[in-house]
Amino acid sequence: MSAVLPMADQRTVGREALRLVGRDRGAVAAMIGINALAAVASLGGPWLLGRIIDEVAAGGGVAAVDRLAIAVLGCAVAQMVLSRYALFIAYRFGERTAARIREGFLQRALRLPAAVVERVPAGDLAARGTTDVNAIAATLRDILPNVFIAVVQMLFIGVAVVLLDPVLGVLGLLGLTGIWFITRYYLRRARDAYLTEGAANSRLAEELAATTEGARTVEAFGLRERRLDAGRRAIAETRRTRMATLRLRTVFFPLAESSYALPSVLVLVVGGLLYLDGHASLGTVGAAVLYLRQLVGPLDTILVYVEQIQSSSASFARVEGLGAVPAPPPATTRTPRDDRIEVVGVRYAYEEGLDVLDDVDLAIRPGERLAIVGLSGAGKSTLGRLLAGVDRPAAGEVTVGGVPIADLPPDQLRRQVVLVTQEHHVFRDTLRANLMVAAPDAKLRRALETVGATWADDLDRDLGEHPLGGAEAQQLALARVLLADPHTVILDEATALLDPTAARAAERALAAVLHERTVIAIAHRLQTAHDADRVVVMEAGRVIESGTHDDLVAAEGPYAALWASWHGERATFNS
Amino acid sequence: MAFVDVRGPAGYLWRLALELKGRVALGALFGSAWFMSLAFTPYLISQAVDRGLGDGRRETLLWWGAAVLLVGVAGAGLGIMRHRSMTKLRLAAALRTADLVMTHATKLGAALPRRVTAGEVVTIGIADVWTIGRAMNVGGLGVAAILTCVVVAVLLFQTSPVLAAVVLIGVPVLAMVVGPLLRRTQRAGLDYRQKQGELNARLVDVLGGLRVLNGLGGKPEHEARYGRESARLREQGYRVGGPASWIGALGEGLPVVFLGVVIWVAARMAASGEITAGQLIAVYGYTAMLGIPVNMLIFCGFDTAHGLVAARRVVDFLRLPLDKVDGEPAPDGPAVLFDPESGVSAEPGRLTALAGDRPADAVAVLDRLGAYGPTSATWGGRPLAGIAQPEIRSRILVAENDAALFTGPLREVVAGRDVPGPAAPTSGDGSRAGAAGNAGPRSGVPAGRDEPGDERVRRAIEIAVAHDVAADLGRTVEWGGRNLSGGQRQRVRLARAVHADPEMLLAVEPTSAVDAHTEAAIAERLTAARRGRGTVVATTSPVLLDRADVVHYLVGGRVRASGTHRELLGDEPGYRALVSWAFADDA
Repeated sequence: MSAVLPMADQRTVGREALRLVGRDRGAVAAMIGINALAAVASLGGPWLLGRIIDEVAAGGGVAAVDRLAIAVLGCAVAQMVLSRYALFIAYRFGERTAARIREGFLQRALRLPAAVVERVPAGDLAARGTTDVNAIAATLRDILPNVFIAVVQMLFIGVAVVLLDPVLGVLGLLGLTGIWFITRYYLRRARDAYLTEGAANSRLAEELAATTEGARTVEAFGLRERRLDAGRRAIAETRRTRMATLRLRTVFFPLAESSYALPSVLVLVVGGLLYLDGHASLGTVGAAVLYLRQLVGPLDTILVYVEQIQSSSASFARVEGLGAVPAPPPATTRTPRDDRIEVVGVRYAYEEGLDVLDDVDLAIRPGERLAIVGLSGAGKSTLGRLLAGVDRPAAGEVTVGGVPIADLPPDQLRRQVVLVTQEHHVFRDTLRANLMVAAPDAKLRRALETVGATWADDLDRDLGEHPLGGAEAQQLALARVLLADPHTVILDEATALLDPTAARAAERALAAVLHERTVIAIAHRLQTAHDADRVVVMEAGRVIESGTHDDLVAAEGPYAALWASWHGERATFNS
Repeated sequence: MAFVDVRGPAGYLWRLALELKGRVALGALFGSAWFMSLAFTPYLISQAVDRGLGDGRRETLLWWGAAVLLVGVAGAGLGIMRHRSMTKLRLAAALRTADLVMTHATKLGAALPRRVTAGEVVTIGIADVWTIGRAMNVGGLGVAAILTCVVVAVLLFQTSPVLAAVVLIGVPVLAMVVGPLLRRTQRAGLDYRQKQGELNARLVDVLGGLRVLNGLGGKPEHEARYGRESARLREQGYRVGGPASWIGALGEGLPVVFLGVVIWVAARMAASGEITAGQLIAVYGYTAMLGIPVNMLIFCGFDTAHGLVAARRVVDFLRLPLDKVDGEPAPDGPAVLFDPESGVSAEPGRLTALAGDRPADAVAVLDRLGAYGPTSATWGGRPLAGIAQPEIRSRILVAENDAALFTGPLREVVAGRDVPGPAAPTSGDGSRAGAAGNAGPRSGVPAGRDEPGDERVRRAIEIAVAHDVAADLGRTVEWGGRNLSGGQRQRVRLARAVHADPEMLLAVEPTSAVDAHTEAAIAERLTAARRGRGTVVATTSPVLLDRADVVHYLVGGRVRASGTHRELLGDEPGYRALVSWAFADDA
């Protein structure tokens, strides 16, 4: 019953990234400018060193050397201060952009169609919103500025070495081209290898957590050896995946590092030959060699981070994937003409060809109390979701007053139908906000009183800091229904998980909420069916029986057989 | 196991390093050699400039060029050997720790959750083992880094004692300035991360409530609120960004400034003829290169400090004592279980039900009858507390409602017990007919010694009415049954308990999350399957209660009345109210 959220394709990721950069053009321009100045300053050192060498070779005095050396120091200080401001701007840019991404994510999540929300694994959405968004933020803040600086530095070193001596410069830069191919080779393989490694890490942690949390089960069922086995397998898998990434690095690192040496050697030899022929000064050759060795720093930075940038771009693809979910059709502007709910020829399938609902027809009279019973997997809950407008049928119609329920906007829907399940989400917010309606306090208090929420005296109580118990959360859920004031309430095993003591209190609250409303109860206990105006029995996605409890018992069909297995109960109930 | 006598965090790391001393030595060796190659390259370049160009002969220049290339390639080779040996060292230390923790966790058994929270163990699994792995860095890389500093000092000393002094005093000063700066960045980041965690919690909260928002509205309010909190985090980030950018710039920039100072001193010496131009370049190279081992030493310091914290958690865990498992022999055959605290007794071969006005009371009774935690219960008249634990576990099974489900194919999850348990008494054979009369290959064989066949697994699934989970026994059940519905999880747990087929099965609310149809089917099949074996269920479901041979009605944790369901319905108004609560209050 679960679907996977899509990922954004490469082109979308690129477009979105550019859009984010475009929104902060000023900061990006400032970053480039200051970085460029810092790079110039960082290049001053080796150039001045070359001058110092020339000066020394020419027999220049200490005074000349002093002037140059002070300039070297000045360059170093300037580089430091400029880098600081460049980092500062980059940091703010990263922070701002991360905030835009996470806010955009929530906006999209809130616009997801209800049917998608029902079906995506709960963890997937949360993982994208937290782990992935955080990974992107960390990259934006900590990695991109450094990589950016490194790129600017490389550009400037490249330009500087070419300006210093065009022949030597071009030669040295050509010597670096091998790294490009080596890196491509590596990145193509690295992504999957590191993903596998990450999965193995999580598995190891999970096995350990499972063994710990389930320690009692391990002992009860004598699973010790099996757990140890599973743990050792996870350890072996971790070792295997780590060795696999190590093998990749074993190819990548030495090739990349050897490539660093190549330009220096080329320039040394060719520059040396030029010097011997009198075409270059000793200082020029020395400075060119040093420049090319200076390239190693920024290159290393880029190569170290390139993997993380790649994995953040995968995170970004997951975050942007939300944009690829087809938007729900626009909410209808039609208003239901009455409170009558009708199900006509409805089919529904979670997977192609496997109909969960198969040609269901059902008309619900306003004010009726309808119980739907049937085995697990008969399609009861799915029908409940369609009736609540959470999802749309694949074929047929589910309407209220002639309008498809799923087309109603939330504000309209809550006045028509509300679904109550075992899940009562309580927001980490005040009690007032948790009632999901803007209404005078007196009205809110009345609703809470009606459902028996005697604990609810402080509407400003923060339910994140002072969480509710199970029974209290349920009362809150019922108060929400009361305030939404729908004409129809669908109950899907709403009290099934409560213990008997709490359930009895819940019953009373429920009775108050259901008063004068249409009730569709997806039955857990058969008493519900007994008390209903009409019972609908479902099997394999079809309605196989329908009628009052007494009629169905008299008909001696499947329902009667079930009721018989509850024999003896009835007498006590009616007593 | 070599680590049974764990002394303390430092002792643990030391023993780990000793156990892996071969790898440590290899890491130190390659690390040193790699640093040498780093230091050697500038030296070689300076020689190439001085000598290769000095005598004006092309041949000499080419030789020197080849030598520089060779050293570069050799350095790359040494670099990867260093990385490989260190990675393997870290991995070995991490995985050895993981193995120790894992082994100890399985030995602690049911006592474990009482003594340590799962969160702590998860922290060990996710983070601590790797932190401990990194703590090994100091053994390999740390040694190599110190060695390198010494060698560079010697080389510098040969060039000029003054320069050597400047560098050797300057480097530690630099390390002492940069180290604390880096630590401060880490701390600033910590504060930010905490706020980020709070914002994440808010996001998860809103995402978790999407259904409510879809049904009842209220999205704009939540969106606006998240926007405000996100903006606050952004402001906090800006505040961190100011100092953090200074720290970053200083961390990178101060070594460059230091380099400038050294060059100045060296240049003056070159100008006055004390050193050659080539030596000047070499000094530049050495000093620039020294940044790497100095950085590494700083990070080795961090790694060790963090490693000690992680090792503290691991050591504390490994020190948790094991439960006492030996004791008196158990009764030879099926015998009565009796809990004096509540007055509940459970006879072999019968279906006993416990209905408590407070559900927790019935659960506590089952825990005592199953000897989980302190117990005064008896088994065939002998105190359970004194009986050898493995005997109890292999013959009495407490099936909790929230028992753990481990990742694995459905077949394996249901088949559960796979290890030969301690030999069960053979006298019980007569009553050990398999589940639902399906004796199969196992009659006369003590529990678990046979290969669990699929036929038997299917049988157990059928009894638990869990057929809807999967037709394919190979379907993977995720940890905690995350990929199953609540009702399916409960029925898979029941199928596992049925499959274990213990002499005495104590089940807690086995049908609380299933619908009426299914519950009726389970009640019928389960009673048939357990015929002749002792079963106790804690339940308030009339369907199950009606099938019990005897029902104990508990009030305030003690038996108020015993009898059949029908008898109690007639005689005990409290019991009637307890078991017949209706869904909607129409009566």
